[in-house]
Amino acid sequence: MERRVVITGCAAITPIGDTKAKILQSLENGVSGVKPLKSDELLTEHIYCGVFGTVDYPIAYDFKRRDRKTMGPVSYYACQTAKTALEQSGLTPEFIQSGRLGVAFSSTHGSPTIQRNIYRTFFSPEDTKLRNVGAVDYLKSMVHTTAVNISKMFGITGRVISSSTACTNSSQSIGFGYEAVKYGLQDAMICGGADEYDTTTVAVFDNLLATSVDFNDTPHLTPRPFDRRRDGLVVGEGAGALVLEAYDAARKRGADILGEVIGFACNSNGGDLILPNTQGITSAIQMGLDNAMLNADEVDFISAHATATKMGDVTEAQSIAAIYGDRPAVTGLKGYMGHTMGSCGAIEAILTLYMMSAGFIAPTLNLEEVDKRCAMLQHVTAVREAPVRTAAVQNFAFGGVNTCLFIKQFANG
Amino acid sequence: MQRDTIEKEILRIFAELFEIESPGLDENLAEVYEFDSIDAIELLRELETLLGTELTRPEQKEAMEIRTINQIIDYVENLAGKRNI
Repeated sequence: MERRVVITGCAAITPIGDTKAKILQSLENGVSGVKPLKSDELLTEHIYCGVFGTVDYPIAYDFKRRDRKTMGPVSYYACQTAKTALEQSGLTPEFIQSGRLGVAFSSTHGSPTIQRNIYRTFFSPEDTKLRNVGAVDYLKSMVHTTAVNISKMFGITGRVISSSTACTNSSQSIGFGYEAVKYGLQDAMICGGADEYDTTTVAVFDNLLATSVDFNDTPHLTPRPFDRRRDGLVVGEGAGALVLEAYDAARKRGADILGEVIGFACNSNGGDLILPNTQGITSAIQMGLDNAMLNADEVDFISAHATATKMGDVTEAQSIAAIYGDRPAVTGLKGYMGHTMGSCGAIEAILTLYMMSAGFIAPTLNLEEVDKRCAMLQHVTAVREAPVRTAAVQNFAFGGVNTCLFIKQFANG
Repeated sequence: MQRDTIEKEILRIFAELFEIESPGLDENLAEVYEFDSIDAIELLRELETLLGTELTRPEQKEAMEIRTINQIIDYVENLAGKRNI
């Protein structure tokens, strides 16, 4: 059995807003969500990168204590976006709790804030004991904390997938959720990813000389995907959640369909855990097109992974050019908010849906002079009024994991 | 430690940590307030702080049978008595 899979709810918390209107406004007006890195009194003085894609606006959480007590910051983000997306979907509590809906949600490494507090206890000079580690600290910080907190909050009894693969966390979540619905394993899935403000991730990339350091005094000018002056990635925070549902059921209940997931592919480079790999990425794109039963010339828009590292952007550009030539419009959405890690795939898929709905393509922010090695693509450098019927969302992760999702516009009515 | 002092401290902990204001002293905490095993473990940490002493594993396990505020007060009173607190 193969079923069509549609999107009936989505929500994001990003450095450029947490509503469709605010996010579209930021995309249309070139507003950056990258801010100075906040001091953590631990690592920041040793980190060269001084910027972070920051969620710096208040979020009105309305969670009961029974739900809050097992949440670290990352699960607050995850549950808030899941709540909004489920509400938008119109699915009933009876269905959500029936076992026919599952969860595919993850984060890079749980809640580093909670983990840091645990380590602080251990390494404190005071006579602290093991009992000072909270009974729920593990539940707040474990790697699948987002998925199970969502399950708990909404009483979800379907399958739970928590694919912790760093930058492909949430693109895998959507992909695996898509497959679960497509093949009839579940009738609906809530999919996505989240990551919280975390300086240890910045330190990891800083140690690998992969972070942006030249724009510490002008955070809004970095990252610079595909730009000649790009100098590395900027870590960010956020969350994205999408409700995927079998088309027939969504249609039958009169749901507002936001888009259709028509294909997904995931592969491994089968080698180096850090260096991007043209062959691996090209293969993932082609596999995705095959899965979506698309020809390359049917794709209008590509949301590139484009982290603004020196090598990564060139490698991705080569792969896109090899498959698509210069036909589809290409945007690196990380220019607006940095690399939101485990949430980037979901956030970029949602922003793509928003742009499909609004009828414009946002440019790659800070792309002023295209690197000659990336110039063979059709880069979007100014807001472009254009319909996007079919889009690809590409994401790649440390460990050599590549994903490619294909999303199609859906005409209701 | 006097019983009224213990009661006052327990009610403070329930208000501040568990957001349960003025529970009935004989109400079943699990049934009325969704007080669960995770909360019970958190409560033990607070009781250790209150008494300024670590609980033994048997004492911790004994606490898992507790259902009401009055039973918590009995439990703390007993521990305080054993330790001359």
